[in-house]
Parts: sequence; structure tokens; C-alpha cells
Amino acid sequence: MRIGKLFVAVAVAGAVLGVLPAQAQDIKLGVIAGMSGPGTSYGIGIRQGAEMAVKEINAAGGIKGRKISLVVVDDASNPAQSVTAMQRLVGDQVDLIVGGWGSSQVLANMEVVERAAIPYIVVGATNPKITTDKNKWTFRVIFTDSVQAEQIAEAAVKRLGMKRIAVIHDANDYGVGNRDVFLASLKKLGMEPVAVLSYQSADKDFTAQLSRIREANPDGLAVFGTLPAAPAIMNQARDLGIKARFIGTGGLANENLMTLAPKASEGTVLTTYFHEDVDADARAWADRYVKEFSGGSQPPRPVLAAWEYRAIKFIAAPCLERVGTDKDKLRQCFGSWKGKLFSVPGEAHFDKTGQLIQPSVLVEVGNGAFQAFKGK
Amino acid sequence: MAGTRAKWLGLGAALVAMFAVPAAAPQYVVHIANFVLIYTLPVIGLGFLTGFTGRVSLAQGALFGTGAYTTALLTTKLGWVPLATFVPSVLFTVVLAVALGGAAVRLAGLYFVMATIGIQQIVWIVLMNWIELTNGPQGVRSIPPIGLGGYDLDTPQRFYYLALAMAVVSYILAKRVVGSRLGLFLRALSDDQLAASSVAVEVGRAKVTALALSAAWAGAGGFLYAHYVRFIHPDMFGLEPSVLFLVMSMFGGYRSIEGMIVATAVLESATEYLRPFGEFRMIVYGLLLLLGMMFFPRGILTLVPRRSAASPAHAKV
Amino acid sequence: MLAQIVIGGFATGCIYAVVGLGFTLVYRTLRMVNFAQGHVFMAGTFLGLAIAERAHLPALPLLLAVGALAFVVGMVLERLVFRRLYHNHEVFIVGSIGLGIVLMNGVRVLYPEPVPFPKVFGTNVVEIGTARIQEANLWVVASTIALVLLLHAMFTYTRVGRGLRAVAADAEIAGAVGVNVKRAIALTFGLSFAVAAVAGVLIGPLYFVSFDMGDMVGLKAFSAAVFGGINSIPGTILGGVVIGVLENLAGGYISSAYKDLVAFVILLVMLVWRPTGLLGRETPVKV
Repeated sequence: MRIGKLFVAVAVAGAVLGVLPAQAQDIKLGVIAGMSGPGTSYGIGIRQGAEMAVKEINAAGGIKGRKISLVVVDDASNPAQSVTAMQRLVGDQVDLIVGGWGSSQVLANMEVVERAAIPYIVVGATNPKITTDKNKWTFRVIFTDSVQAEQIAEAAVKRLGMKRIAVIHDANDYGVGNRDVFLASLKKLGMEPVAVLSYQSADKDFTAQLSRIREANPDGLAVFGTLPAAPAIMNQARDLGIKARFIGTGGLANENLMTLAPKASEGTVLTTYFHEDVDADARAWADRYVKEFSGGSQPPRPVLAAWEYRAIKFIAAPCLERVGTDKDKLRQCFGSWKGKLFSVPGEAHFDKTGQLIQPSVLVEVGNGAFQAFKGK
Repeated sequence: MAGTRAKWLGLGAALVAMFAVPAAAPQYVVHIANFVLIYTLPVIGLGFLTGFTGRVSLAQGALFGTGAYTTALLTTKLGWVPLATFVPSVLFTVVLAVALGGAAVRLAGLYFVMATIGIQQIVWIVLMNWIELTNGPQGVRSIPPIGLGGYDLDTPQRFYYLALAMAVVSYILAKRVVGSRLGLFLRALSDDQLAASSVAVEVGRAKVTALALSAAWAGAGGFLYAHYVRFIHPDMFGLEPSVLFLVMSMFGGYRSIEGMIVATAVLESATEYLRPFGEFRMIVYGLLLLLGMMFFPRGILTLVPRRSAASPAHAKV
Repeated sequence: MLAQIVIGGFATGCIYAVVGLGFTLVYRTLRMVNFAQGHVFMAGTFLGLAIAERAHLPALPLLLAVGALAFVVGMVLERLVFRRLYHNHEVFIVGSIGLGIVLMNGVRVLYPEPVPFPKVFGTNVVEIGTARIQEANLWVVASTIALVLLLHAMFTYTRVGRGLRAVAADAEIAGAVGVNVKRAIALTFGLSFAVAAVAGVLIGPLYFVSFDMGDMVGLKAFSAAVFGGINSIPGTILGGVVIGVLENLAGGYISSAYKDLVAFVILLVMLVWRPTGLLGRETPVKV
């Protein structure tokens, strides 16, 4: 009898989950990201980008008359929950998925996608292991840690003329991944770092690490981490008397960096995913985006919204137009996609591993904002 | 006699229903059911420790993770066949638990909890930072599915039967241990330690045995988990799952294994029930814990009081 | 470098010590551990933030205001919530963890992103030898000392304080001689909340504040209390400072990756070796 209770509980759970309302003609586009939990602000940005793109597409008549309906799931930036959330999308029979934030989450949820054979465009995870020769259905538009770390290494040595570079990095996959590629690139350029130290994402106090770094007397400090640790590191470094210039990759590409470290962040050079000044289309989009989403409970976050928007509007939508919702055809369409996206200089295409190849955008923090990096 | 016949009919019907789940229910529900079945293992294990010896452990998540990582590393780095790693995974978890916690079992209840927090955090920090061994924050991916004679359990539906089988076996084993001499002794221990020790029985050894048993169940659960989700990461085995397992073993009533199973089912589905709350999901979860403890301190299903009411200022072991 | 690391660790250690005091106060009186303590600390910071943004109070009034408010909240919560959790340890632990989750996520809804805290303690940097210390750090140390002295004075010289000590020693007897035990417990909670909240305001200007800052601090403060003696106030203070300095030293000289390990290894070793902690008095029943 009591085992029966277990069954009842499961059945009730199933019934309560209910049936999702679905218009048979709609194209179902799944979006997965963390919207409650540590990555909330990034997840909200992704959702906003998706909403904006889909609204515009539907307003213009949809895809051959069919509307796109968004199915958004929240994975709370937690790898285990991400797997379940992705299962939910699969269960809802989405036609394709555009989203994903956080390498740990994406590494977990892409396994579900690969087995369920649904095309998946990743917009917010930079660990190189996501696109390798193993993934058939997963594509990624944002560039990887490898590309960024390599590019910032080159910039540091060749353009900024740094000679004594120290590294401080988060102990998570983002920080470790960046560190490894950065150090390998430095080696190729004939350089060794003067100090390499790590911290835990939740750390607040970096005195121990920064004291060691100060001893090493660097002229450049690479910060591979995200907010809020990065601006804290910058502030504390300046307080300790470290005068080195900061460099970094996409984790620093968050407008909040300047809010939290107004003075310390000046002069930081980093690779970023999106910048309004790269071309006129980018600026136009950014203005529209900010107008649409300001005044909401969350401030607008162009950086991640930009990728979600571009992936849907310029990659997913045209392919849907061309080949319909057949998953295999969609996958092939993505694989052979080429084109121009705003804020990406030159043309972009996906390589064999599903990674979008593109030149990076270097920016510098000046006057409290990201400005295109022009030289020194 | 009609009572027992009805009982057997009911049991039979329930079993048939359980078997039908993968065919009848949507994949998503089967997926949740799998998690419920997997989690019953560490929860039952915790039940030994908590319900039968009065020791609360907040390290079960770490032990669950130890089982998961052992099998994950053996299969992905050394190429072992999943089934072959079952015994090593369970064994290693037990050894680790006894090594770290063996000395602490003799502590009074609250101090033991504190010690398990230390164990939990230490294991988690090592999993996160010993990158050469565990890949640290990048996790271990592409864990192979369990294969039974050429038949791979790589879909939720297929996995369900294995999970169901293991849950049932655990349940039966647990009932037998509880009914055995050891179980009787463990319960006596919990009710009155002084009396039990005055019978000059091996108190210390019994407690370590309870710890070992709880670790074994946790390790076995971890083994299943790793081969189901196929990607593991240290954050899946932190303090949060430890608390979850503890709550599951408590909500059902301390001494009722059936209660623990039902509590696991309800609480695990709760993550999905709570989706409509959006941003407030975790607040509601916290409230559930808090209010549950405030108004159902003895568990939802069993109403047998576990301790006599005592004034809080006296140390209760 | 050594001076910088030690002094930095000392300041962090003071925070662990003060938050740990909250654990100790509740434990002494109730023999229970309040796992929401770390999140109370965090909530205190945000309370301070909210007040500072609106009322632009200078340092000392801000600390007092936050402390007083937190005190009241602590007493109210004891009455409404904690009182129903005294059945046994497990219920109290899980219940307080639930409360902590509610606090953390409640703050998260209001402040999903890390925010800077107004620099109420000034922004000067003081140089002591080769070490450069922020003014705010000095405030932390000074406030900790002041707090400990105040508490000591209260417990030794005031009726209320002596009443609290009596309840901590033996509630039944205290009740028999006329101490209002229920009120004493409520006051204890109020104090533990006040202390944690004040620690939160002290640390606010030093780092950014975010909803998840209470987790680790709570666990380490807990380790500090156990290490120094969870029923001893001077023990807890000592424990906090020692852990703060040791973990900074480990981070600076051994490995920054395993810095967090220090607190928990100390916790485990201490419990196995000497559960009452460095300065604790009571002998636990080890059966």
C-alpha cells in the first residue's frame, strides 16, 4: 500500500505539470538560461534578446506565415537543474533551442540535446569543450575562452607592450580555461607570467593573492573572472598600491564593472562580445534595445542580449525560412551558414565543430564606459 | 483475512502501476521519477544514521558525490565498464566516510552535525580544486551509460527499470537491517544511550557501522546518478543537496522508511511544482522547509513522538 | 608582504568573530545552532545599505540604527518562528536553514546584482610599514573591540546580563530564582541578530554586497565559534581572528585555491580532538 503512495505522488506530479497550451502551427523556439540564482542578470539579458527578436519577426509576418512562440525555461544557473530544464524543453517538443548561459550548465544540458537530436545554438558559454568533434547538434556563436584569451595575450604583448604579466583567475571553469590558454599563448610569444594565483568565485577578500602579486611587481594584471569578484579585485589591487594595467576577457564585459570599480577599472583592456561602436547597425540596435527595455525592473544588458538576438534573427530565422522545421535540415543549414552580423567585423561562419569563427572586438574602459580600443 | 488480501491486491496494483509509468507517462515525468528513485538511496542511508542512532549528518551530499565521482573517473579516465565500478564506488565512499567521520561518531549529537559540515565542505572544496584528479569546475562529462548485456540504459525509460529495481532492493535491505539485531541495537542506542551502553555492548562499533551503512547507500545512489545525468560537477554535491536529503529523511517521519520514500517523491517534484512562482521559487522552498519544521516537526506521515519534550537548556544528546 | 597578509586576515577574522558571537550567544542559552546566522549578517548589510542610501547617516549612528532594528527583528522572529523549532536539534537546524534560504532569496529579489556600499567609514588608506590598510578595516577592528567590551560589561554588571548568563548556565534554576527565562531567550536572539547585522554594516564598505555573501561567512564564523569554544565569548573572538589570519597566510604562502579549506579542517580537527574548543568549558556527553 505504501509503495502505492509513491506511485500516486509521481502520478499527481505528472498531472499537475499539465499540458502546455500549444498552437499547432507555431514554431516552438526554446530558450534556456538562469533566471533565478547567480546568473540572473545574464539570463534576463538573453530572454530580452529573444523576446525582441521574436517580436520583430512575428510582426513582420513570421516565418512563412507561422509565428514563433518562445518556450522559456529557467535553470537557476545550476547544472543539475539545467539537465531537467532541458528535458522539459525536449518534452515540450521544441523545434530548436537558442540560449544557454554558463559553461557548467551548457556542458550538462548539451548532452540531453545531443541525444534528443535537436539543434541548439549556444549564446552564453565560452568553455572550449562545448564545441569539439563530438557535438553534432550543438552550435555556438559566442567566441570561446581559447580565442579570447589568445587574442588578449597577443594584444597585451604586442600592442600594449607588457613585459611582466601576472594572472589572477577564478577557480571555476571559466577562469581555469582562460588561464590555460592565456599561459600557452604567452609561452608562444616567449613570455612567462610573473605570478599566477586563483580565488573562489564567492571570495570577497583578495589580500592574500594581491600581496603576492604586488611582490612580483607586474606591469599588467590579467583578471580572468566575472562580477562581482573582478571589480573587487581591481579596487583592492589599487588600494594595495598595484599600478599594473588590467586586462581580461569576456567575463569583464559587463556594464556593472564600471559601476562597482569606477576608478580602478579605468584603462582596462578586454575582449568583448559586442560593442555598439563597431558599426552603425550595432549602434542602431543598441539604441532600440535600450529604449525597449529600460524602465523595466532589470536594467538592459546589451552584451548577452545581442548574441541571442543575432542568433535568432540572422541565423535561426533565415534557416527556418529556407528549410522549415526539419531538425536535420536545420542542423545542416546552420553548419553551412555564412553571413554578416552587426558588431562583428567581417564575415562569420561556423567551423566543423559548430563554433562561429569571428574576429574579436577589443575594448578599453574609458570615462566609465566601454570604448573601442584604438591603440595604446 | 480480507484485510491482508486487500493489502496484497493493493500492493500488486501499485507494482503494476509502477511498471507502467515509463510507457504511460510523458518522458519528462519519467525523468523526475528517476531522480526520485535515485535519491531514495542516500535518503534511506541517512535514515539509518538519523532515525536509528540520533545522529544528523549534513555530509550525505558529499558522500553521494564521492560515489558519483569514483564511478565517473573510473569509467572516463580508466575506461572501466560501468557495472564493474559499482563495488569500488560504494567501497570507496564507505572508506572515506569512516576515515573522515569515524572519529567523530562518538561525539554528542550536535557536535557530530558540526563535524559533518566540516566533512561536507572539505570534500566539496577538494572536488572543486583538485583539478588534476576531478577536472575541478569543468566537471566530468560523457560518462557512459550503464550497459546490461549489450543493452545500453541511455534513455529515461530504460533507466527507470534499473532505478526502480535498485530502489526496491534498497527498501527491502533497509527493512531487513532495521529488523535485525543491529537495527534493534541502533534503535536502543538512539532512545537511551546510557542504558544501551550500560548493557556493555559495543556502542562505538555500532555507530561506525551505521555510518558505514549510510555511506554505502549514498555511494550507490551516486553511482546511479553519475550514469544517469552523464555529466557531474562539484556543485551538485554541496551543502544544498545534503540539506535536501536530510529534509527528505525527516519530513517522512524518523523511523518510517515508507515515509522517507514518499517525502522524497513529494520534495523532488516540488522543484517542478514551484516553477510557476518564477523568481520567488526559492523563497517558497525555504518557507516550505521552515513552516514544515515549525508545524510538522515529527514528519508528515508518522505521528509517533521521537523524543520526549525536554527543556531546551538541557543538553540532549 | 607578511604584514599585509596578517593585518588583512585580522580584519576578516574580526568579522568571523563577531558573526560567530551570534552563534555562541544562541548556543549558550539554548544549546542549538542557528544556521540562518550567516544570512542575518547579509541581511544586516542590506538593511544598512537601504538606510544609508535614504538617510545618509554617518558611521556611528548607522551602526546603532541597524543594530537596534536587527535586535527588534531578532526578538520578533524568536517569538514567531524560533520558538516553534525547539523540539530537537534536527528540527531547529533544518528550520533555521529554511529561514536562511528565505532571507537570502528575499534579498535577491530586491537586489539581484552586487551593489557598492556607501563609504561611510571613509576612503583613506593608512600605511603601516609595508602594509596599506583601508580606513574601514580599522573601523572593523575598533568596533569589534568596542563590541566585546560592551558585551562583557553587560554580562558582568547589569541585571539583564547576569540574568542571561544564569539562563545559559541552567535555565531551570534561573527560572526558579525569578529570571524570566522566555524573555531572556528572546533577548539573546535579539542580541545575536544585532551583532550579525552590525558586522554586516562594518564589512559593507570594504567589499561589494550581494545576496550570497552570507553563506561562506556563516560557515566560517560557525567554524570559528566551534574552534574557540562555542559556549565561550572570548573563545569565539579568538577563534575568529585565528581563522582569519591563518587562512590568509595559507592563501598567500601555500595555495590560494585551498584557502577555504583552512577553516573547515580546523573545525573537523578541533571537534575530534577537543569538542569544547580552545576556551570552552562544558564537557559534552560522549557516550
